[in-house]
Amino acid sequence: MTPPPIPQEDLPNPWDPLLRFLRSAGFRFALLFAVVFSSAAAGFAFVLWFATAGSLDRQTDAALRTDALGLMERWREGGPGAVSDAIAERLAADVENHAIYLLLDPRGVRVAGNLDRWPAAAGQGPDGPWSFAFVAREGISVEARLYTMNLGEYRLIAGRDIEEKQRLRDTLAEGIAWSSAAASIFALVGAAVLRRALANRLRPATRTAEAIAAGDLSRRVPSSGLEDEFDRLGESMNAMLDRIDRLMEGVRGVSDSIAHDLRTPIARARAKLEEALADTAEPGALRAAIEQAIADLDHITRVFGALLRIAEAEAGARRAAFASFDLAPVLADVAEFYGVVAESRGQALVTELPDRIDLVGDRDLLAQAVGNLIDNALKFTPPGGRVLLSARSLPREGIEIAVADSGPGLPIEDRARAGERFFRADASRGTPGSGLGLSLVRAVAHLHGGDLVLGDAEPGRLPPGLRATLRLGIA
Amino acid sequence: MRILLVEDDAEVARFVRRGLQEAGHTVEHAANGRDGLFLAASEQFDMLVLDRMLPGGVDGVRLVETLRAQGNRTPVLFLSALSAVDERVKGLKAGGDDYLVKPFAFAELLARVEALARRPTVDAPATRLKIADLEMDLLSRTVTRGGKRIEIQPREFRLLEHLMRHAGQVVTRTMLLEKVWDYHFDPQTNVIDVHVSRLRQKVDKGFDKPLIHTVRNAGYMIRAEP
Amino acid sequence: MPIRLPLSVMLAAPLLIATGEPIPRITSDSQEYCTELVGRLARLPGAGGEPARSLGADGMRLCEEGQPRAGVAKLRRAIRAAQAPP
Repeated sequence: MTPPPIPQEDLPNPWDPLLRFLRSAGFRFALLFAVVFSSAAAGFAFVLWFATAGSLDRQTDAALRTDALGLMERWREGGPGAVSDAIAERLAADVENHAIYLLLDPRGVRVAGNLDRWPAAAGQGPDGPWSFAFVAREGISVEARLYTMNLGEYRLIAGRDIEEKQRLRDTLAEGIAWSSAAASIFALVGAAVLRRALANRLRPATRTAEAIAAGDLSRRVPSSGLEDEFDRLGESMNAMLDRIDRLMEGVRGVSDSIAHDLRTPIARARAKLEEALADTAEPGALRAAIEQAIADLDHITRVFGALLRIAEAEAGARRAAFASFDLAPVLADVAEFYGVVAESRGQALVTELPDRIDLVGDRDLLAQAVGNLIDNALKFTPPGGRVLLSARSLPREGIEIAVADSGPGLPIEDRARAGERFFRADASRGTPGSGLGLSLVRAVAHLHGGDLVLGDAEPGRLPPGLRATLRLGIA
Repeated sequence: MRILLVEDDAEVARFVRRGLQEAGHTVEHAANGRDGLFLAASEQFDMLVLDRMLPGGVDGVRLVETLRAQGNRTPVLFLSALSAVDERVKGLKAGGDDYLVKPFAFAELLARVEALARRPTVDAPATRLKIADLEMDLLSRTVTRGGKRIEIQPREFRLLEHLMRHAGQVVTRTMLLEKVWDYHFDPQTNVIDVHVSRLRQKVDKGFDKPLIHTVRNAGYMIRAEP
Repeated sequence: MPIRLPLSVMLAAPLLIATGEPIPRITSDSQEYCTELVGRLARLPGAGGEPARSLGADGMRLCEEGQPRAGVAKLRRAIRAAQAPP
C-alpha cells in the first residue's frame, strides 16, 4: 500500500499578511468610505473653484468686451483721435490701476495707451481676439488678459492686469490643496476607524464561532444591546446554535431511549428464549416462547419505527416534501378512522370542523399526530365518555387543532414532561403504548412551525379532562 | 410463479427463498445488483423482490430504473431498511410497485407478493365483484348478499372492495392501512381490526357461511369456501 | 507659514524662454505719466474743490519722491473726484 500523499504546504509568502488585509471586508468598506469621502471633497472643491476663480475670469472678460465695444463706438463717431482721447480718459480715471490699452497706427507707431510695444501673443492665440500675455510693470512680470481688435488700419488692445486676481486664485488653489490634504488624512483616519469598528463589532461573533468550532457548544454570541445588524446576526447565530443544541439533545435523547426502553424488551425476549432453551423437554412451551419472542421483537420494531419517525420530523428534512392541501377532510378521515374504536368502547368521538382549512404541510405526519392525540384521549376516557376533535383557522395565530377528552386530565407537573420520549404519567402505567405518541405530536408541531399545548379540557370540572392543542404556524 | 430475489444478506435471502418456495413459487437468487440486473434482463420472471441497498455498484433503485427503461414491466417489490418516507417515494418513483420495510413478518411479504402478482389489470375494469352470494356493484356502489341489500358506508365499501379484489389472498393490516386509508404510519391501536369486525357484522352476521376470515399472524381474507 | 505657489511665475518662466524677446512694458507707472495726469487734472473745472485738490497735491508729492505708482493712483482718484458732479 502506498502511503497517502503528504499535503504540500506552500512556503509562507511574505506578502500574505498584506494580501489578507487587502482582501478583508473591513479594508474594502474603509476604502469605499475613503473614496466616497474624497469624491465629496473633490466635488466641493470643484464647485468652489468654479464659483470663485471662474467667476472672476468671466467678470474680467465681460468688462473687457464692454470696454472694447465702447472704443469701437468712439472710432465710428470720431476716428483715431476720438479713440485716443477715450483711452487717455479711461487711463486717467483708472483708480484700480489695472487698465492696459494700446492703439497702433498703420505704421505700427503708438498713438495712445500705456504699453510700449505690441505683445507677441496678442491676437494670435487659439481664442481669436482673446489672449493672455506677460507685461512688465516696474520691472516685474505680471499676467494680463488682452482683447485685440482692428479699427480700420489701426490695431487696438484693451487689456487688464489680472495679477491681483491671479493672486486670489493662487490663494484659493493653495487653500484647496491644503484642504485636499486634510480631506485625505480624514479619509484615511476615518477608514481606519471604520475598519477597526467593524472588526470590533464582529469580534464577539468570531470568538463564539471559534469557541464552538473548538467544541464548547454552550457559548453564545453576546448582544451589544444596540439592536443593530450585528446584533441581529448574533441572534440568528444563537438561534441556529440553539437549534443545533436541541438536535444534539434529541440525538442524546434517542440514545438514552434506546438504552432504556429498547434494552428492556430485548432483555426480556432474550431471557425468555434462554429459558425455553433450558426447558427443551416441552415442545409446547418452546413454541410459545418463540412466538412471544417474535411478538417482543415486533414491539421493539414498532418503538424503533416510532423513534425514527420522530427523528425524521425533528430533523426537518420532511419540510422539502411539504405540499398544500385542505386539512379539513384529512381530520374528518382520522376521526372516522378512530371513531369505530370509540364506538366499540362505548365512547363518543365528536368533531367540530370548518368546511375548509388550507395548509402547507405533511399530510401523513399530521394525520398520524392527530391520530395519536385521539388515540391517547380514547385510552384515558372512561366508557361513556366523550372526545371532541375541533379545528379552527385563525388569521393571525395559524391553525389550531384541539383534542379534548373527559378523562382524568393531566396534573400540571406532568404536562411539561408529557412530550418527552418514553415519559408515561404514573396514571397511565397500566395502559398499552410506547410513550412516544406525544413526542411525535410535538415533533410534528415543531416541524410545522408550531407547538403542542396541554391544558384542562374544562377547568373546574371534576375530572377536568385533558385538552391537547396542536398549534401550527402560518406556513 | 417464478420470482427473482436480489438480496445481499445471506440469512434474509435464505429465509425469504425458503418461505416463497414453501408457498409454491420458484425462486432465483442474486446476491448483488449487477448479477440481479443481468438475471432480470436476460430471463423471464413474474416478480422481482429487490433489496433497496445492494452492493456491486447497482442498487435496487438503479436496477429498476434500468429495467423500466428497457420496457420491462415485471412487478417489483422493494425490501428496505430505509423507512423514511422520502426513500419510499424514491423507490416507487423509480418504478417499484410496492415497498416493504425491514424487519418484516414473512406473512406480510408473501401477502404483498401475491397481491402484486394478481393486480387487477388496467384494461379490464370490472363493474361487478362477486364472492359466493356477496355481490358488489362498483357503479351504483351497492352491496347485496343473497339478494338482500347491505347498508354500507363509503370507507367500508372501499375496505370490502379491496378485500374482494384480492379474494382468496391474504390481505395484511398494513396493506389495508396503506391501500384503503393511504396512511403510512403505525396507528398504535388495533384500529384495522375494529374496522374489519364492523364490516364483518354487516356482511356475515345472519348468514350461516362467513366470508371474511381472519388469518392468524397475517391478516384477513375473503373467500367463498370456509 | 504656508508655501506660496505663484502660478503666474511658474507659467511665465517657460514663456520667456520660448519667445526670447523683451516683454511689453506698462508705461503708466512713470514720472512722465504723472506729469500728464497733473496737466489733465489742472484742466478739469472741479480741480480746485476738495478732495480733488489735496489728492492731486499728495499725488504730485509722491511722484516727486520717486513713487510714481502710488502718485499715479492718487492723481487718478483726484481726477475722478474732480470729474464727479459736486
